[in-house]
Amino acid sequence: MIAALLALAGSCLILAMGVGRAHPRIWLGLCVGAALCGLYAALTILIGGGVWAWSGDFAPGGEIASLRLDGVSALFLVLVCVVGGLGAVYAHEYWSEHHYPRSAPRGRVWWSVLTLSMGLVLTCANGLHFLFAWEAFALSAYFLITLDHGRGEARKAGWLYLAASHAGTMALFAFFSALAARTGSWELGPVHAQVGLAPLFWLALAGFGVKAGMFPLHIWLPSAHAGAPSHVSAIMSAVAIKMGVYGIVRFSGWLPMPANAGWVLLAIGCTSALAGIAFALAQNDVKRLLAYCSVENVGIVLIGLGLSVLAVQYEQPSWGKAALAGTFLHVINHGLFKSLLFFGAGSVLHATGTRDMSRLGGLWQVMPWTAALFAIGAMAVSGLPPLNGFVGEWALYQALLRAVAQKSHAAGVLPAIIVLAGSGALALAAFAKATGIVFLGAPRTKPARLAVECGWLMRAPMLLLAAAMLVIGLLPGLFFAPVLNAVSVWAPQWDGTDPLLAPRALGGAHTILICALLAGVFLVTRAVRANGARRAPTWDCGYAAPTTRMQYTGGSFAGITRGWFAWLLQPRIMICRVRGHFPGRALVVERVPETVLERVIAPGAWAVGCVADAARRMQHGRLHLYILYVFLGVTALGLMILLGGM
Amino acid sequence: MPIYIDMLLRLALWLLLAPLLPGVINKVKAWVAGRQGPPVLQLYYDLARLWRKGVVLSTLASPGFVIAPAIAWTAVIAAALLLPLAGAGAPLSFDGDVLLLVYLLALARFCTAWGAMETGSAFEGMGAAREVSFAVLAEIGIITAILTLVVQSESIALSSMFEPLPGPGAALLAVGVFIILLAENCRVPFDDPNTHLELTMIHEVMVLDHSGPPLAMILHGAAVKLMLFSVFLAQAVLPLSELPLVISLAALAGCVLLITAVVGLVESLTARLAFRRVPLLLTIGFLFCLFPLILTWMGDL
Repeated sequence: MIAALLALAGSCLILAMGVGRAHPRIWLGLCVGAALCGLYAALTILIGGGVWAWSGDFAPGGEIASLRLDGVSALFLVLVCVVGGLGAVYAHEYWSEHHYPRSAPRGRVWWSVLTLSMGLVLTCANGLHFLFAWEAFALSAYFLITLDHGRGEARKAGWLYLAASHAGTMALFAFFSALAARTGSWELGPVHAQVGLAPLFWLALAGFGVKAGMFPLHIWLPSAHAGAPSHVSAIMSAVAIKMGVYGIVRFSGWLPMPANAGWVLLAIGCTSALAGIAFALAQNDVKRLLAYCSVENVGIVLIGLGLSVLAVQYEQPSWGKAALAGTFLHVINHGLFKSLLFFGAGSVLHATGTRDMSRLGGLWQVMPWTAALFAIGAMAVSGLPPLNGFVGEWALYQALLRAVAQKSHAAGVLPAIIVLAGSGALALAAFAKATGIVFLGAPRTKPARLAVECGWLMRAPMLLLAAAMLVIGLLPGLFFAPVLNAVSVWAPQWDGTDPLLAPRALGGAHTILICALLAGVFLVTRAVRANGARRAPTWDCGYAAPTTRMQYTGGSFAGITRGWFAWLLQPRIMICRVRGHFPGRALVVERVPETVLERVIAPGAWAVGCVADAARRMQHGRLHLYILYVFLGVTALGLMILLGGM
Repeated sequence: MPIYIDMLLRLALWLLLAPLLPGVINKVKAWVAGRQGPPVLQLYYDLARLWRKGVVLSTLASPGFVIAPAIAWTAVIAAALLLPLAGAGAPLSFDGDVLLLVYLLALARFCTAWGAMETGSAFEGMGAAREVSFAVLAEIGIITAILTLVVQSESIALSSMFEPLPGPGAALLAVGVFIILLAENCRVPFDDPNTHLELTMIHEVMVLDHSGPPLAMILHGAAVKLMLFSVFLAQAVLPLSELPLVISLAALAGCVLLITAVVGLVESLTARLAFRRVPLLLTIGFLFCLFPLILTWMGDL
């Protein structure tokens, strides 16, 4: 059954690669069909538990092809299918033949390659084939990021992504080869018994961490997510970085852990969460803001994973289970709301042609659907009840609080709770800013005033995602059971422990809350209607001639927090004041650089380039000097032997 | 008592008693200044009048401008209902409900900021930016206070969490939570609820354009939030739940009145803080919550 479904999904995608170029509708049908088949298979495994395994009688690359789908990979496969399918629907209108006649066919083909290769990454049970799938995934993502390669920004972002991705892949090559050399087989699976393998986890963490976008390896992420077409940003942010998370989760479950791995994961998670959201808050580009927010969410996921690793180490199954369940649920939740937010940002970009928040504003008047859906996504990403974002963080917080309450060895998680609370409040600030500046108030420029709402093919995926988010919020009990199945695949020794979560009580509270909210809204709208309402201009302290440019901007909104994090963000502000009798244009330009890239990586790369340039002078094409080099070399070697012999 | 009657009673209690607190504060302030001051029930009259008034909406405002205050109000009341009342306990309690309380307050904050951004006014944008930024420090402080209680009581449900610390820990926690109470409820020295038109305002400047029933909801919600923080503070510091039901409720009411009176005294005796010092005082509040946490932790080792 599962074999048939997965084979069907795979062949649909392979067919989609073939026909995608010329027949957009057939491609769309095939993509959605593949997504549904894959989703059904993944949900069957996830709900029913159990493992599906298959091995073929052929051996590409000298290794027998074998596939496996268990709880953990099924969990991530759900995300691939949901976002892969909905993104295809969205792309059909967003990146259509009509708007992009040259790149749209290419985009369809690479989209199919990307989803298929991500599916293979999740199902390959052989290290060698895993690397093949990983490389196909990385390359197809590159071609999707640079779909619009006429723009320099996209080319640059794609190049950075490719370089960073391959730096990570290099670590993975080393990791998988070392693993295969030490275990004697490319087969992937639990190897807890071989304690000597523990240090290999650091290689895996570095390799997968680049893809996951954990701070400070996230350097490729903001520009790639901002520069790519929005449906690509959505799948990159919601799913592709989760492949990195998948790798870390998978091998933290399979490898013997180094003694301090849990603490390191916790520390990286805290750094990513705080730094990610601090950068997000300071951005003026709405898609960059969303991209940095992904860094924050990966941080939250790593905090949860670190706690689970600690729970294994200290043999505390009850909160370990809660922590991992919260982590897994947050992975799913982040996939849902982040793709919704990127779709929303894409609709804005589609309608106005800009991602710069200081050129937008007042879009709710012309794009009410997008505005409402983006607001729901913003509330979910800020972890507000009764939406899904809260459910995952709630389980994670509980695990942290229990670890503290128990006063076990894991007391060091105290700072993690405080960091989590702080980054949650900062996320709320960032998304109050994003929704407020982009959708509320008055339009700041002409394109924002003349925008039109996106069509139904772009709206429908967003509606479905929002509905799924609400359902997870209202019925968390329904979703914890399958997630706990995935948890028991990661840590089978925890089977039979109660994670001490009360999702049904939370679901009940959320349902009551929704009813109360509706009652409150009904009460106030009825009162307003009964008393009568009239419209008047905004009261701006008696100022007679307000203009739309007098509104608060994104830069000023983030001013206070940017000041707090100035040591990290290094913001540059250029001000041209009004001076003299006939002043020129007054101007304020604010820019928050990508500090790690511009202050650390770029100078490092420059230094390497200098050394390489200096070395290159030795290669000048003069034969007699080359002979001199050889002579000097031989003499030096001879001297060394001579002196060493003495 | 069936749970729904219990719930309705508590709802009535919170809805009806909360507007008393701002009246008490104003009376204390008037008393210190030697004035007669407005009646204690002034807010009730104001709310009744506002509820009957018409509404002026900004030309830029979306339907969210009216809906956001309603959501914020409901969220604050829902948060209040989660809180146990001394010996009476909590009607609905489950593990991790304390996080729901914190995030319901965050929901209210998001909606207030949303309402402020609706009008496109620079003043209200400024207020929203300040509110969400300073809330970061306040939220860290609250979580630290909650952590202290969790470590002390080894429980993560509100109904069994309030087992106050002995001695100096309780005093430190009281000061910390009180500072956060002042900040979250926009009282002096963080904010001045009496004026509407100053560049250094935080909360009041966000509601400049609201009128009629939505404004009534905002004012009432602010009163409920003040009462919520007072109840939380009283129970976090004093072992009220160990007393018999009636006495414990009376003691809780007394404590809340006392806290309110202290808020009034602070308001009469201190000036508002220079704006750039606000994060500093909030950090001090956080530290006051952090010390009892370390104290509880070390005491148990």
